[in-house]
Amino acid sequence: MANFRPGGILSVVLVRNDNSATAARRSRRRLLGLAAVVATVGLVGAACGGSKGSDTGSSSSSGASSAKLSAATLNGSGSTFQLAFDEAAIAQFKEKQPAVTVNYGGGGSGKGKQDLADQIVDFAGTDSLVKPEDASKYKGGEFLYIPTVAAPITVSYNLKGVSDLKLDADTIAKIFSRQIKTWDDPAIKATNSGATLPSTAITVVHRSDASGTTENFTKFLAAASPTSWTIKAGSTVDWPTDTQAGNGNQGVASAVKSTDGAIGYVDLSDAKASGLTFAQVKNKAGNFEKPTLEGASKALDGATVNADLTYNPLWTDGADAYPITSPTWVLVYKNQTDKAKGEAVKAFLTYLVTDAQDVAKDVDYAKLPASLQAKAKAAVDSIVVGGSAGSSGSSTTTK
Amino acid sequence: MSAGAAVLTRTVTPGRRLRNRLASILVWLSVLVAVVPLTFVVVYVVVQGAKVISLDFLTKPIPIISRLPGPGMGPAIVGTLLTTGVASAMSIPLGILAAVYLNEYGRRNRVATAIRFLSDVMSGVPSIVMGLFIYTVWVLRFGLSAFAGALALGALMLPIVIRSAETVLKLVPNELREASTALGARTSRTILSVVIPAALPGIVSGSLLAVARAAGETAPLLFTIGATRTVNTSVFNGVNTALSTQIFRNAQLPFTGAQDRAWGAALTLIALVLVLTLVARLVTARFSRR
Amino acid sequence: MTLTETRSPGAEPTPPAPSPFAATTPGTADLLFRWISLASGLLVLLVLGLIAASMTKEAWPAFAHEGVGFLTGTRWAPAENVFGALPFVWGTLLTSLIALVLGVPVSVGIALFLSEFAPRRARRPVVYVVDLLAAIPSVVFGLWGVIFLAPKIAPLYESVASSVRSVPVVGTILGPPASGKSFFTAGLILALMITPIVTSISREVFETTPAGQKEGALALGATRWEMVRAAMLPHSRAGIIGAVMLGLGRAMGETIATALVIGSSPQITAKVFAPGDAMAAVIANQFGEASDVHRAALIGLGVLLFVMTIVVNIAARAVVGRTLQDEVAR
Repeated sequence: MANFRPGGILSVVLVRNDNSATAARRSRRRLLGLAAVVATVGLVGAACGGSKGSDTGSSSSSGASSAKLSAATLNGSGSTFQLAFDEAAIAQFKEKQPAVTVNYGGGGSGKGKQDLADQIVDFAGTDSLVKPEDASKYKGGEFLYIPTVAAPITVSYNLKGVSDLKLDADTIAKIFSRQIKTWDDPAIKATNSGATLPSTAITVVHRSDASGTTENFTKFLAAASPTSWTIKAGSTVDWPTDTQAGNGNQGVASAVKSTDGAIGYVDLSDAKASGLTFAQVKNKAGNFEKPTLEGASKALDGATVNADLTYNPLWTDGADAYPITSPTWVLVYKNQTDKAKGEAVKAFLTYLVTDAQDVAKDVDYAKLPASLQAKAKAAVDSIVVGGSAGSSGSSTTTK
Repeated sequence: MSAGAAVLTRTVTPGRRLRNRLASILVWLSVLVAVVPLTFVVVYVVVQGAKVISLDFLTKPIPIISRLPGPGMGPAIVGTLLTTGVASAMSIPLGILAAVYLNEYGRRNRVATAIRFLSDVMSGVPSIVMGLFIYTVWVLRFGLSAFAGALALGALMLPIVIRSAETVLKLVPNELREASTALGARTSRTILSVVIPAALPGIVSGSLLAVARAAGETAPLLFTIGATRTVNTSVFNGVNTALSTQIFRNAQLPFTGAQDRAWGAALTLIALVLVLTLVARLVTARFSRR
Repeated sequence: MTLTETRSPGAEPTPPAPSPFAATTPGTADLLFRWISLASGLLVLLVLGLIAASMTKEAWPAFAHEGVGFLTGTRWAPAENVFGALPFVWGTLLTSLIALVLGVPVSVGIALFLSEFAPRRARRPVVYVVDLLAAIPSVVFGLWGVIFLAPKIAPLYESVASSVRSVPVVGTILGPPASGKSFFTAGLILALMITPIVTSISREVFETTPAGQKEGALALGATRWEMVRAAMLPHSRAGIIGAVMLGLGRAMGETIATALVIGSSPQITAKVFAPGDAMAAVIANQFGEASDVHRAALIGLGVLLFVMTIVVNIAARAVVGRTLQDEVAR
């Protein structure tokens, strides 16, 4: 009669089969053999893998650095649009100020803004503005917009055999609102007379998190094609149900890359790094523009900058402007109460708007126009550390 | 019994033989259907992971720039060992003690029945619910840390340890207890010096299996442990990371560099879990020769 | 009387015997030890109670906000503070159903293999393989699923979907849209993951079949399959159902593998090749960025999942326990 034992794999904890010494020995031998295999695999793997080189790039040589700061850890979260730029800047900043560790976690502009409001992070990355009614939620008081870079939002797609798609705002709006469902739709054919479009179904990929990229993309659609784009623009959008979602710009890129017939909006840096193909978009002047840094810069030139350094480069005039150029800022509190952190934040942000501008294009971001750069630096300088005003690096006297 | 009615023929007709053969084939087929994908997955992970595994990979910090290839996953390994270790240190003793209560003191009382029942229920709670639970009672007050992750993992391990320990304790023959008591030993002395040592191999291997399960868990750590690029050996202070959460994060990135690190982490994790499971089996096979 | 070999000699199924310690007089050390071990046991009750209480409290804003609509609403739009959980409940149930349909026959087959059809030598390797399956962490399955399986299997879905598009009943289940990340892929991976637990319990149940019945059937001339059908399956029916329900509970609670391959597209559709979303998966994916009511709503989903899995698990144990307890009483 078999024994009662509670079910589950734990029953194999107990020796189930025969109890002879030979069987025990045999099973032990087999186990040791298995263990040997596991160990060998591990060793072989370790032997075969060589050590890979380090990943940081060469340190910047310009001498605008201040004296070495004392140890501090800065945490930031928010926009994944600027994530690649931030990572590159952080890697280089580490070489200049080795005692300061900066962590940028991404998570979407919505998360960044919420985290900064709750004072869980020291700075937030965002591509979209804080709504006036939300300003009171920011526990640390007044905050500043520091523009850092700008970049095109690409309309990336995955369609075999089609490498040079041209789309206008109307068509894009219809695709993303699911009025157009297949690639061989007449509207798409109209702007792509030379291409052979298959009848594959279109899979729309959008963001699942609260995203500044989404906000800018939908603002563009609302401005450029108000009749076709009837869904409200914003950081979270009521997308049609038969669409897919990805986490962060990288998640959207990943989804587009792995699904045939997919289309999504991704920042240029991640789109290029993922090997995606992107479409040319018709701008206000009527020209089809590729998403390039030059196109982004032209769009920036056409935008008006407000007093608080916010601006809107979407759907601007300009013959060669790329119509879906997105701005991005770092949000930071004007009053930094912690001295070490405040100094570190100021130094890091100064770095972002001065030296880091030169590495922007290496990671496919457009640097700010000179005038905006100067205004950004002035804004960073106005950050008050520990209660007394002063430029970065100077010691503070009172708290 | 219908078998009686079905077999009142003198020979095995071709029809019956065919059905028997068919059933046999289907049964073998089902074994293949399980074995083949599993071997495939394991081989795939090993092959992909072996491409990146190196001493650097196991020790270097996680790269700042996620899209570039290169090592390492050192902080994640430390984090996994830390959270699993602390979780085990908390749940294994408590689980054994609870099993002792259930089997030695509570064979017939209602509290023990309730505990036994609820412990079974608790083992069915989804791991993400454990993570959310620790988030609401601990993280909201004390922040993210390796300890919060360990709490969630410990909560997951507790019912497993209780069940396996109770099973093993139940198998210790009563004669041992009676003999010890007859020699004048206190109950607690009997339990500690006679019963538990007798059950020790089973307890050890059951606990190791629970540890292996906890090491591979991701969902309980998602909202409790945070994320970091560098090694953090502090249990209570600051965010940490683990192999499982890193795999989850990197699996969603489109960059081959990140994906390669995910494969490497997956291979490390599988190796860790396999070693624990193998040791558990070895302990059983070597010591439970009854 | 036992006619089958004893599995673990020296291990008898002990119905709760009176404790040998009943006759001893407890000293202080004993009382202390007893109370410590009791306290450890009560920890289980404490944790479960806390889970229910604290999570419900945190989720309350969402419940209050939505009312019954939380359970019946079909829209989940955090931007507009609308939280209807139905698409996720649907996704959880659909993927679990697919996992059961794909996994249970295979698991029962393996259990039969291990108890009846396997040659002696083949038994142990298969047990090891099944245990290996149980040991692989779900995140590794998810990683393999999202990087390897989903892209590779999408063309297969496409061809099946387009060929059955116009077939009446089959078309509504297997028809387009077809996506690599879908209910079906999630169900497939879940099937792999529930196989160990269903196999193990089914095997235990099969082994409790009274030897007398099995040998009687064989003695009367039954082929092996006829013996299984006549003696083992009827006896094991309840136990298999219990095993299936435990597998269901496991599939419903599985988070990570589902989160990676399900497609993050909450919708209620019978098309199994379409992308979807499930309760555990959406919590894992959206929690990081959620705040206020959104976060409360996700915790509310957690409470819902908690209740559903507990109910399934209790029912399963009631069913399995009865079969195995019958055996003990014999």
